[in-house]
Parts: sequence; structure tokens; C-alpha cells
Amino acid sequence: MVHPDVESYPYLLKAQGLTKRFGSLTANQSIQLEVKPGSIHAILGENGAGKSTLMKMLYGVYEPDEGEIWMDGETVSLHPPTRARAKGIGMVFQDFRVIPAMTVLDNIALSVEKGWRIRRKSLRNRIVEVSSKYGLAVDPDAFVWQLDLGQRQRLEIVKVLLAPGTRIIIFDEPTSVLVPQEVESFLQMLDLLRRDGYGILLITHKINEVLACADQVTVLRSGRVSHQMSREEGLDGDALISAMLGDKALKPVLKPAPNSSEVRPEVLRVENGTIRGDHGEEVLADFQLSMRHGEIVGVAGISGSGQRELAEALFGLRKLASGTLTVHGKPLRGGDVRAFMEAGVSFVSEDPIKESVIPGFTILEHMVLDGIPVRNKGVGIDWRHIRSELENSEEAKSLALADAGRRADQLSGGNVQRMVLSRALIRKPDILIISYPSRGLDIGTTLTIQQRLIELAERGTAILLFSEDLDELFKLSDKLVVLAGKRLLGPYLPSETDKAQIGARMLKGESA
Amino acid sequence: MKQPTFVPVGVSGGIGPFRSNWKPLFKQLLVWLSPFVVFGVFLLFYHVNPLRLYGSMVQSTFGDLYGLGEVLLKATPFILTGLAAALPAKAGLVNVGGEGQLAIGALFATGSAVFLLERFPAWLGIPIMLLAGALGGALWGMLIAALKVKGRLNETITSVLLNYVAGYTVAFFVHGILKDPESFNWPYSPEIAWTLRLPIFDGTRLHVGFIIAIVLAIVVWYVLAKTRLGFRIRVLGSNRHAAERAGMNVNRTYFWVLVAAGALAGIAGMIEISGIEGRLRPTTGVNYGYFGFLAAMLAWNHPLKLLGTSFLLGMISVAGNTLEIGSGLPASSATILMGLVLLFILGGRRRAKR
Repeated sequence: MVHPDVESYPYLLKAQGLTKRFGSLTANQSIQLEVKPGSIHAILGENGAGKSTLMKMLYGVYEPDEGEIWMDGETVSLHPPTRARAKGIGMVFQDFRVIPAMTVLDNIALSVEKGWRIRRKSLRNRIVEVSSKYGLAVDPDAFVWQLDLGQRQRLEIVKVLLAPGTRIIIFDEPTSVLVPQEVESFLQMLDLLRRDGYGILLITHKINEVLACADQVTVLRSGRVSHQMSREEGLDGDALISAMLGDKALKPVLKPAPNSSEVRPEVLRVENGTIRGDHGEEVLADFQLSMRHGEIVGVAGISGSGQRELAEALFGLRKLASGTLTVHGKPLRGGDVRAFMEAGVSFVSEDPIKESVIPGFTILEHMVLDGIPVRNKGVGIDWRHIRSELENSEEAKSLALADAGRRADQLSGGNVQRMVLSRALIRKPDILIISYPSRGLDIGTTLTIQQRLIELAERGTAILLFSEDLDELFKLSDKLVVLAGKRLLGPYLPSETDKAQIGARMLKGESA
Repeated sequence: MKQPTFVPVGVSGGIGPFRSNWKPLFKQLLVWLSPFVVFGVFLLFYHVNPLRLYGSMVQSTFGDLYGLGEVLLKATPFILTGLAAALPAKAGLVNVGGEGQLAIGALFATGSAVFLLERFPAWLGIPIMLLAGALGGALWGMLIAALKVKGRLNETITSVLLNYVAGYTVAFFVHGILKDPESFNWPYSPEIAWTLRLPIFDGTRLHVGFIIAIVLAIVVWYVLAKTRLGFRIRVLGSNRHAAERAGMNVNRTYFWVLVAAGALAGIAGMIEISGIEGRLRPTTGVNYGYFGFLAAMLAWNHPLKLLGTSFLLGMISVAGNTLEIGSGLPASSATILMGLVLLFILGGRRRAKR
């Protein structure tokens, strides 16, 4: 699998002076980089630091404006990606490039098989071989829509490994979709790949992972290499953080101790709720949920355990198959989103780019959709008033929201996240259902949003917080529930449990 | 983190200021000229001088008032059926039913004129007839809307299929109770009263229906661009999920947008009867719905740009007549030119969007 000539050059790939500009914006400036065989090179940086641009140049999506890339002792051009793949570069994307309606086997065949016939039998053997070798458990005959995100990621990795000649693998934020236990086995798998001589590029903003596995680290800030070090020279977490953030200081998130003597009024209650998924299958059965005034309820669970369906049901986008849902003591029926909004419920969806961004509309125009109240001007909308309200809003400022006139469909994922979060914060709802608030955000913004959520709860908002980051859940939540095996477990008090216990329940359900 | 205050110049992917200035202009020119060049090659096979034809096209359009009137006359129904496609398109719907909605609008207008409005004065009769036409189109649109909202049937399919039903419904009436007793068995309705005919501009055949169409285009544009209702429609059309999450009633919006579109096309049917033909035939307004759809596509569903594209299609239609008289080619060969214009413009836009 690995190229036989690897010994003849000390590197698999060497980049020198890579520069990429978009109009007046320089996304990457003279990047220097080396990928060695049998080693893990981590690329660390905040949102917008230029990680994605760099990876897209190495995977051939973009052609560099300046600089050169060396492989096998000669300069190469990797654009377009087919050429990069032919040179043995594979990439595991954050948003998986898989076809949900097809089986795992067929998805792999699509990218690996050449010629007219699909030789399913031999391909199946190769899949089984690779997945047992690297501990990538994935059923070749399962349909992709049945898989959770972790399984989809394993499918992507198998796909890359089976592509002929792969020797460099780029991982784009691979652990963002994994639970703690899965992260551990992922890191073990990286180690096996390293031993087999693959060169690995790991894009991440999680410092623990870098410290746990990387041989070399390159830190990017504002499109430039701000720091480079290797394991032999010694890796230092604090140095990495300051290289990432520059001179910005991080304020720790503070949560006031709960006042246990006080009984707060209940604002939302589900009794014997059952929720069905898009294919009519039961996703959550017979669950109870109660949220009180000013309380943050954290929801843990492996991705795809019913988080999306639960969130949608609590915002009225999905009907309960059975059971009752009351908000402020008043029963509400699913299907009528407006009634939920009028009862004071707000929602930040887990996929804002798909579900919240309106192509061609500006940030300002997005703000009036369940955010800043619309002020009428004749038959129209008083946009100037709304703009000044937005520009004076402390919430938008604290999240460094981009300019109100920018088109939302041209924003990066992190900026879209800032937009929907600002909107929810400005609204100051009674009940906020918020999915994965820190997904795709850098450390600084993550801490800001966490602090904001705590303040919002102090002012009385009940928050249902879905997160894949157990640290975040423990830091923010007053109580925790776990979604596993079609059940909603808990509530548990964060002070009486720990991450290992919650992680075990996520994987094994109640029996843990 | 402070975001760079970089505003992309139209196309994403970083095109420098130099390239973005004159190259698109050149491309635009190429896109508009190419269909005429290709059609010219076609004409050469039939020994027609394309330059002379295009010259006479321009000449007959702008040469005198009558010619201009003919083009505007042709453009009028295209504007209205174009609006019937453009308005739903802004809500994310594809209404190809302008054809049928026009036909039923014409049927209702003629029916009301023949059975009810015979002796009404013009100031009262014409508005009622207009409302009858709008009602007919709206009802036909409502069928599509109900199938969409209640039956979850795709509006593109149902609207196309109902066009055939509408055509046969008109035929049913003009062969039956709406047939002119003095027609020697030809299938057409009696002529409507002269008081119900739209006033005509001196020196042309152009009637005030043209003004009505322009006013309605401006109204649709205003509603879409400036009002809260229009804002909601555009949100829905751009991202249905976002509209749901903003608490909008998606089905209700779909329903009334399709009904309104039907009414617009129905008005086109009334104008055809009251402004030009004076009686209903099975062929009244045939293909106008599809031409309107084409005009809307060319205008990228913008109600004001639609005025321009309708004018262009009107010009090409009239040129078809010139073609027949001047060179012996059938008038319908001009539809080849229309098809080419559509192909190049949509193809050109598609590339530019990348």
C-alpha cells in the first residue's frame, strides 16, 4: 500500500512558500510544511486561521498562487484533486462525502473500483481485512443512512485506505463527531497507521489530541505559520495555545454555584413522550423530561441517538407520536412552530447552514427570523431600525458577528454559527433549545458563548443544551440526561457523576 | 476573532477587480448574440439573408408606431403568464400551469361577458369581466395548490397535466353551451359586446391590457421586494427549512401564492378575449403560458426584468410573421430562435454562477 520508494526521501511531501489569496484576502502566506512517512503532523489553529485553505491546496482543491510542493524529489502540481489522489493523497472530510441511500460496500466501490464491473466479493474481503487491521468496525452491508457519524467516519477512512497508492492521509477535524471512548480508539488507529508508514496530517483545534499523538505540530494564525515544533524538541500545551491565540487572553468560564434550597417553577415538561424519525422508526420511546426556570439541562449521547428528533419535537417541528408536551403548563401540539415560538421557545438547529441560512440574504435579514422583533414601516420592514438595534447589541458584539450587510451564504461555518447564536441570545427566550453551540468555533468564541449561555440562564432562560463535548456539558449543565438505545436516561447531577460514567451510559445505555 | 472585512465581488472564488469589469460584459454580449448567429446559419440553408431579416425585425418593431404596438401586444400576455411563473418561483415553486390558467381565465371572462354582462356599461362591465377572468385562473391555480398542500403532489407535474384538462374544458364549452348559434358549427363562442372590448391606442391594435400587465408586474415586484409578505415568500423560496424554523405556515403560503399566480394568468386570458379576439376559440392564447414561463426563466424570475424579456419574445413572435411573408418559412420557425435564446442565456448564467 505504501509507496516502495519512501526510504529514498526523508519526506513524503514538502511544501515551500505556499501562498493563496482570495481577492484582497490572503488566506495563506508562505507556508512551510513537511510530511514524513510514519509520522503524524498536526495543524493547529483557530477558525479562519487558514487551516482549511492549506489542506485544500494539499488535496488539490485549490491551486497555490505561489510556492511549490515537492514529492518524490520533484515539484508536483496537485490540482485538481484527482491528481492529488493519483499521487497518493487521501482526505477524510468533516462533512462526509458519502451517499446515504447506498450501502457501505457500494459507497466504497464508487470511489475505489475501476472499470465496468464491480467485484463486490473481493472488495468485501479487502474491506474486512482493512477494517480488522486498523480496528475500523464497519458493516459493509449496512446502508449509510443507518450509520451514526462515527461509523460514517470509519467508512470514509476505509475508503481512503483502499484507494490505490494512498500514502498521505489528511484528517479534517476528525474527532469533532466522536464520543470520548471513540476518540481513544481513533487515536489508537492513527498510531497503527503511523506504524505502517503512512504520513498523516491532522487538522484540529483540540490541544489534548495534539499532545497525545502528534510528532510534529504547525500552528497557523491569520494565514501564517506562527509556530512549528516537534515531539523531540518537546511539545508544550501552553506554548501551543499562545501560538494559536496570539496575545489574546482567555477568560475562564464561571458558573455560579446552584442554589439548591430554591425550587424553581417548571417551564417545560414531556410525559411519556415517544418520537419517530424520518423513516417512521422509533427514535425515543416513552421518555420524561422536565426543565425548570433558569436551568441548563445538558443532553449527552452518541451522535444520531435522537438528538435532532428530540430538539425538533420540543420546537414543534416534529409531532410526538404519543405522550404530552406542556410549556408553562399549557399543552402544545407539534406541527405548529408559531405556537411554540409564542410560548417563548427558541431553537438553534444542529445544522444551521442547511436549516437556517437563506441563500442570497444578508445577516441583517436573517436577524428578524426569530431574533430581533420586526418593526413595521408601512407594509414593509424598518430595516434601518433593525440594523441599528443589531449593531448596538452587546450579544452580537461579544460574538464578533460579521458585518450585517454580508450575505450569509458566503460566510464560513464559524460565522454562520455566530449569526444563529447572536440571534438566539438577542431574542432572550424563556426556553432555548440549542444544538452544538461550539461546533466549528475557536476556543475564544467557544468560551464567550458558554459564558453567555450561563448569563442567559441566570436571567431565567431554561436551556436544553445538546453537545458532543462532555467537558462543555459538565461545565455548563445543572443536570444531565443521556440519549442511548432509544431511551432518555437521567437526569444526573454533574456533581454526582463523572465523564467516564456518562460516556459508558452513552455507549451501553442503562446497564452501564 | 476579527473577521476580515472583505466583500466578494459578485462571484466567489476570488476574481480580481480587473477581470471582473470587462470580461462579464463581453460574455453577456456573446450570450445574447450567439443565438442570432446560430439561427442565422439555419436561415442560410433556406437562402434567407439573416442580416436582412434581423434588420427588418428591428425595422418593423421600432420603425413605426403600428409595429411597436404589435410587439407590445404580443408581449402583454407573456408578461402576465410570466408573472404566474415568476411569483411562485420566488416561493420555491415551479408553476408551468400559466397555459391552463390563462385558458380557464378566458373561459370565465367570455362566459361572464356572454351570459351576464351583455348590457353592462363599459366602466362596470370590463372590471367585472376582468375579475371573472382572474377568478377562473385562481380556481385553476387552486386545484394545483390543493393537490400540492393536501395531496403532497409535485406542482410542476400537476400544473402541466392540468394544462391539457384546461384546454379540453375550453373545447367542451365552445362546442357546447358557449357555441355561437350563428357559427355554422365552428367551435367558437359568440362575440362579446363591443362595450366590453378594451380601449385601443390610436394608430395601433394595442389595447390598455398592456398597461394593466405593466402595472401588475410593478405590483408583484413591489410586494416581493418591499413588503413583509414578500420577504416571507422569498425566505420560503430560498430555504424552506429556515421558513419553518421562523414559524411560518409553509403550506398556507404555497397555497395562496399558487392561487395568486393563477389569477394573474387568468387576467391574461381575459385580456386576450376583451382586447384582441372578442370571442373564445379553442386556440385562444395557445402556448402563451409556455412563452410566459420562458420569459420568466430568462428574467431569472425578476418581475421587472420580465418586462424586458417579454418584449424580446414579443419581438421574435412578430418576426415570425415577417419571416412567413418575406421568405416563405413558416412563422413558427421563430420558435427555434426563442429556444436558442433560452438555451444560451440559461447556459451562460449557469457558467457565470459557478
